[in-house]
Amino acid sequence: MTTIVSAEGLTLRYGGTAALDGVSLRLSPGVTGLLGPNGAGKTSLLRVLATAVPPDRGAFTVLGHDPATPDGRLAARRALGYLPQTPGHHPDFTAFEFVDYVAILKELTDRAARHREVRRVLEAVDLGEVRGKRIKRLSGGMRQRVALAAALVGDPGFLVLDEPTVGLDPEQRIRFRELIAEAGEDRTVLLSTHQTEDVAMLCQYVVVLAAGRVHFEGTPAELTARAAGRVWSGTRRDPGARAGWRTGDGTFRNVGHPPAGAQLLEPTLEDGYLLVLDTRHDTTETAA
Amino acid sequence: MSTTLATAPAPRRTAALLDLARFEARDLLTQIPVLLFGLLYVLNTADNMFSGLVGKAEGMDAYPVLQNVDRETQSGALLLSLALLVCVNRAALRSRRQHTEEQHDVLAMGRARRTLAHALSVVPYAALSALLAAVQFGWAALKPGAAGHGSVAELAVAPLAVLLSGALAVLLARVAPHPVAPALFLVVLYLVVLVLNTLTSGAHAVQWLWPTVGEFSSDPIPSGLLGRPAAWHALYLAGLTALCVALAVLVAGGRTRALRAVTVLALAATAAGAVGQAPGDSARLRAAREAAYRAPEKLQSCVDRGGSAYCAFPEWRGWTGHWAAVVDRLQADAGGRAATVRLTVRQRIGEVFDLSSDSTALPARTPDQVTVGTRWGGNRVPEFAVGVASVLVAGDEDTASSLCDARVVTAMWLVLGSDPDPLTTFRHLRVDDSLSGSGVVLAPTGSLRVSAQQTEVVKRLLARPHDEIAARVKAHWTELTSSHTTTAQAAKLLGVRVPKGADDCARD
Repeated sequence: MTTIVSAEGLTLRYGGTAALDGVSLRLSPGVTGLLGPNGAGKTSLLRVLATAVPPDRGAFTVLGHDPATPDGRLAARRALGYLPQTPGHHPDFTAFEFVDYVAILKELTDRAARHREVRRVLEAVDLGEVRGKRIKRLSGGMRQRVALAAALVGDPGFLVLDEPTVGLDPEQRIRFRELIAEAGEDRTVLLSTHQTEDVAMLCQYVVVLAAGRVHFEGTPAELTARAAGRVWSGTRRDPGARAGWRTGDGTFRNVGHPPAGAQLLEPTLEDGYLLVLDTRHDTTETAA
Repeated sequence: MSTTLATAPAPRRTAALLDLARFEARDLLTQIPVLLFGLLYVLNTADNMFSGLVGKAEGMDAYPVLQNVDRETQSGALLLSLALLVCVNRAALRSRRQHTEEQHDVLAMGRARRTLAHALSVVPYAALSALLAAVQFGWAALKPGAAGHGSVAELAVAPLAVLLSGALAVLLARVAPHPVAPALFLVVLYLVVLVLNTLTSGAHAVQWLWPTVGEFSSDPIPSGLLGRPAAWHALYLAGLTALCVALAVLVAGGRTRALRAVTVLALAATAAGAVGQAPGDSARLRAAREAAYRAPEKLQSCVDRGGSAYCAFPEWRGWTGHWAAVVDRLQADAGGRAATVRLTVRQRIGEVFDLSSDSTALPARTPDQVTVGTRWGGNRVPEFAVGVASVLVAGDEDTASSLCDARVVTAMWLVLGSDPDPLTTFRHLRVDDSLSGSGVVLAPTGSLRVSAQQTEVVKRLLARPHDEIAARVKAHWTELTSSHTTTAQAAKLLGVRVPKGADDCARD
């Protein structure tokens, strides 16, 4: 498998706080989910990999280019599509103008080809019909798709998406999943999210980040497998469980170290994630 | 799944920069201030060209003086420049205002080049400004009555002012990224210049720090006497524009060697321009102006037309035929010696203190010499006729300036008798634009006072057939040009009723 992004020992500090603390990872084609609690350093990692901020220590390459050098940074940026956590828009631009503007900033200089590409990505995110509408007249979900189209324009080899489904209604989230899945068919997508179900449904790989460190790298199945034999059903929340909650059928789902004779349940990716987080002070676990 | 690591060939970076500049230029066109002020600019230019859209049709636009026309192209561009200063600044702050900096800062075109693109986005508007200046000037220059010489440096000021506004806008956006910065900047700049003007009593060097320096007086002077440092000013504006752009790009993170070189060169050009335009009028220029005022004959050549001599500054030689037509018309109605006297029509200018002040040439004491100014067309034609008629009846301009007798009537009839619309011309000649009571009639070297009684007599004469009055004028020329003949006696000699009452001219 080709390595598209390779990072070694990335460290980023904001004042005295380490947002990233020696993060190393490798990303291959497909969709990689980046999971972690608030403050885990997900956005910081994405911003570093998107070349928005340079790391204080460590190095990384994107498609073989080293962003630490001006030429390498330019080459990396040409290969990059970035959708930040709260993307801005130019409300007076039409959807077409906004994506065209971004395409120009990506230095797509053949005007006819660029316009074809803008139309293509707008069609891809289902905005072909409203491309002439001003962004201020579009719904929140449509604006998010305009931002995704802007990230996709120019067919970047590496797509960085920071919680793109936040604030979307279920239908829009499903549509977004489809779009991200399509995008991941022929490029490397790094998707930061709080939603374990997004990862379960979309991602071929998953990285769990907590306190600026990588705690897990592997496939969603491998993360799920972390919870094998660690999830059980009971009539109450087990005091020894790491987590437990009442489910819809009235029984309790407990995650942790089951007591002898407990009725074990099929684990989910969320269970695995919870358990990985629970061991976050341990050394990094790599399933692969 | 595998992905090729090969990226696309490096795009043409300059082409991308120009694409963005084009995009921003098109976006500027959707901004109301740019549209509104741009439209006003075009209308102002059209008004200057056709000189009548806002009711100032005097006919002088048929005889433009090109060393004044070139300057007239400048002020309108300030309207557009103002709008561009605000709108380019807003555009340069768009990413900041609308929180797209994070997205856009990781794209191939960095902030420095985006800054440069914003500065370049005003280039089409500068081109429009250059086009308007060229059309306005070309329109004037192609008129058969055009005189004088324009200056390319003066014509360059309008487009340079537009470019400077874009450059200032992006510099402000990078140095003081706030939407009110342009307005604050203008207020502070105005106050600084005001204070400097006060402290230096309007020193030339301070005035020329502004993008445009109008300096308009009503009467043009030969281009060689203007003394405007137009070329230095163009260099100053070009240098300042480049300097602002270079500084903005530097602040935005540009660090190339070429940028540093451009910054140094721009600074040098700005300084050279500012120093070059600072000195003001040299002693030599002042001496030349003094000479043109006191002894214009040394700078002029004369041509003979129909028995009179016409002496003009070199740039106005083309107008002598128009002057001769007036002289011939008036001499045809005059009698005695005046019908054939050889006049010397000499072009004269007032004393030039600076280009914003008006002054009129003093009446000449040389017999049979008539002064003509540096403007022609509209009211300047009958005003010149008043000057000619005054000399025909009084002998010289100085004497003619204090007439209070029949000669005023004679002179005014000479001016108006063969005019196709004499009463309208009479009204326009009088400062009060009326046809009753006493009034003052303008002439190239001052004015001629026409009393109420004289006004009435002239009006009655104009109501009679031209040939009848012309015959009486010729027959009684000696009496009509005598200082001892009163207005009432002139009326009797010319066969019109004498107005009641005393001649108020005599009371003054």
